[in-house]
Amino acid sequence: MLKRAFAIITLLFIGLWMASALSGVDFGADRMLVGKYYLNNVMMETGAVNTVTAVVVNYRGFDTLGEVTVLFIASTGVGALLWRRKKERTARTEGSVVLKTGARILLPFIMLFGAYIFIHGHLTPGGGFPGGATIATAFLMLYLAFTSYEIEHRVFEPLEGLAGMGYVTVGLIGLAIGGYFLFDWIWQTWGWGHGNIGRLFSAGFIPVIYTLIGLKVGTELTGIVDNMVKEEVSE
Amino acid sequence: MGEASRISRYLYTVIVLFVIWIFLTSSLDIQELEIGLVLSLIVGALTYSIFTESGLANLHPKRVAYAIAYVPYFLWAMLMANLDVAYRVLHPKRPINPGIVECKTVLDNDLGKLALANSITLTPGTITLDVKGDRYFIHWIDVKDASVEGASENITKPFEKFLKVIFP
Repeated sequence: MLKRAFAIITLLFIGLWMASALSGVDFGADRMLVGKYYLNNVMMETGAVNTVTAVVVNYRGFDTLGEVTVLFIASTGVGALLWRRKKERTARTEGSVVLKTGARILLPFIMLFGAYIFIHGHLTPGGGFPGGATIATAFLMLYLAFTSYEIEHRVFEPLEGLAGMGYVTVGLIGLAIGGYFLFDWIWQTWGWGHGNIGRLFSAGFIPVIYTLIGLKVGTELTGIVDNMVKEEVSE
Repeated sequence: MGEASRISRYLYTVIVLFVIWIFLTSSLDIQELEIGLVLSLIVGALTYSIFTESGLANLHPKRVAYAIAYVPYFLWAMLMANLDVAYRVLHPKRPINPGIVECKTVLDNDLGKLALANSITLTPGTITLDVKGDRYFIHWIDVKDASVEGASENITKPFEKFLKVIFP
């Protein structure tokens, strides 16, 4: 009781303190310093219509590389924590015919929609991370609907690594051509897609990188699910 | 019905995905169509073995026509069932007589069974609880006939007229 009261009072103080710090900022006030630059120059400099994507992949591409690394470490960490010599799926109850058939029918549509999201990262909201998560959902659905389903490990794990290496390679090509890491060589040096702003084949290396990130995130989250649904079997 | 050839199943999956892609992008820009075709081919290659068993036979004109005709038929059944449930909810005496009944179906492939189960669930007043073989276990808000034959006559028969042609 005393502990709980103390916690509530502390939280109230922290809340008041943060509210007083934020009270100086008017909601909706124009406080854009860098933001103005992004909004004014994004189309000319990157070819992307979606400013968020251009900032995340192009202007601040290094942060995205960090995020991809975090995901990779999370996946590797789960794999390391749950590592066992012999692991199998131990689900016992088969789903009903309605669940299994529904999963079969939905699978290609979910995967196509995930691909749609990451291919259109420079035009519509979304990008590699939501697209990859959508694709992972398709595999999660298969894991939940079928007791014996398992991903093709020989394909999935190399694909995950290759996609990550592809991202770094695109960055390194930029380093060689333009002088710094993640320099958008497709847009700035080749000038490819300049007449196409707003259509699919534009925006330099953003669609390329988002395809790689989509593949990476999709395979990675699926790998995490795969690790978590399996249990050790006693022999 | 046996399993169709791999090529037929693959082509059917690609065609369905490509049509979905066109609706999704709602644009006939040549760039969208190119990428859409490439993605359909890839996703189709990954999923066709799970997606379909009968392949191109699904595009038989008679089956497509029945599937299109089924949409307004089903929407009408859904509207009527909704009004019926609204009447039961608003009626002061609350005239319900709930219970779980067993039904029989003549459909023998999984897709047809899925479509029937969803049709039953989406028409209020009846909910599919489980499907085992050719038996459906259905929760019915107003049990008129608890026998297997009687319940099938009331619940599954109206949909089966269409579904047994769409999913033979």
